[in-house]
Amino acid sequence: MGLAKEFTKGLWQELPPFRLVLGLCPTLAVTTAAENGIGMGLATTFVLTCSNILVSLLRNIIPGKVRIAAFIVIIASFVVTVELLMQAYFYPLYQVLGIFIPLIVVNCIILGRAEAFASKRSLLPSIMDGLGIGLGFTMSLGFLGAAREILGGGTVFGLSVFWSSFEPMAFLLKPPGAFVCLGLILGLINIVSRR
Amino acid sequence: MNDILKMVIVLGLICSVAGLALAAVYNVTKEPIEYQQIKFIKEPSVKAVLSGYENDPIKDRFALPAGKDKKGRDVFQTVFPAKKGGQVVALALDGSGKGFNGDIEVMVGLEPSGKLTGISVMKHAETPGIGSKVTEPKFTDQFKKLTVDNPTAVDGVSGATYSTKGVLAAVTEAVSYFKNNKQQILAQAGK
Repeated sequence: MGLAKEFTKGLWQELPPFRLVLGLCPTLAVTTAAENGIGMGLATTFVLTCSNILVSLLRNIIPGKVRIAAFIVIIASFVVTVELLMQAYFYPLYQVLGIFIPLIVVNCIILGRAEAFASKRSLLPSIMDGLGIGLGFTMSLGFLGAAREILGGGTVFGLSVFWSSFEPMAFLLKPPGAFVCLGLILGLINIVSRR
Repeated sequence: MNDILKMVIVLGLICSVAGLALAAVYNVTKEPIEYQQIKFIKEPSVKAVLSGYENDPIKDRFALPAGKDKKGRDVFQTVFPAKKGGQVVALALDGSGKGFNGDIEVMVGLEPSGKLTGISVMKHAETPGIGSKVTEPKFTDQFKKLTVDNPTAVDGVSGATYSTKGVLAAVTEAVSYFKNNKQQILAQAGK
């Protein structure tokens, strides 16, 4: 498989939340607005790419029996780095994402890519894999966030998109709305991909 | 045996490198984080409770010792002074109290005479639409007429008893620190 294919598979074939249905906790929790979804996606992309790089470089050094522990240490370190950097330079975003930043540690996409991909491949494919899956995750979260923000709040990126008498369906911004939205999108994607 | 030794060494090395790297990141980001917290959480509240000043209360802030916490560490009370023509016209102190869901942090504005100039809720996790009503002007504006002798003589928010109590506890904490350390605070603020 070429490098380009490693990158593009994350955008459709193995689109994390919609095709693999992995990493649903942040997908459901933070997508109340497009901006939050994209912020969360970019933070995850950074952690995913960095951890893929390190895991790939260290794949011949880490003994098989303790590999998961080593992966988790690597991932957790990058997550704390992201958390500190976000607090220092993007404080309003940090206030919105809050607890879900430290929870990137247990995002199964990241450990999944480290275990299934980066620990068996060389550096370049691992970087492409991390970037591709990360970008796919960011797009999915951004899309879900935008859908919920438009229908649930009548805005997108904080800008009003509807006529003034439009009554937004506020329940979409609540947790049940996240499940409804995710279900509809999964259904749509299944219809599209069956053809 | 050899295997175990290798595992211990590799894992130990990874952990120590991770620890060192995190310590470095922490040191680099420590000051920006402090600055951001003051800018995004405290500054809007300080501006809301103080008025008619000419200095920069954020820049002129100072911290005074406020006893020790449960673990025996020193606790400091930050004071934001508002000055006009070199005179201290008002002070802003923060306090916190236990609400329905976690701590509620409140900024309290006080005149040196003991009159309250207002309060502003900085941080809370109360139920949206119910407990969160304690952040609205309808509730917070009541504090403007009060003095340090009866800082909690307000009408509570109905249906949000715990949230109301949390705000009152926070106000009481800030006010009682002011009452107990008035001389010290005013001396430091006048400098």
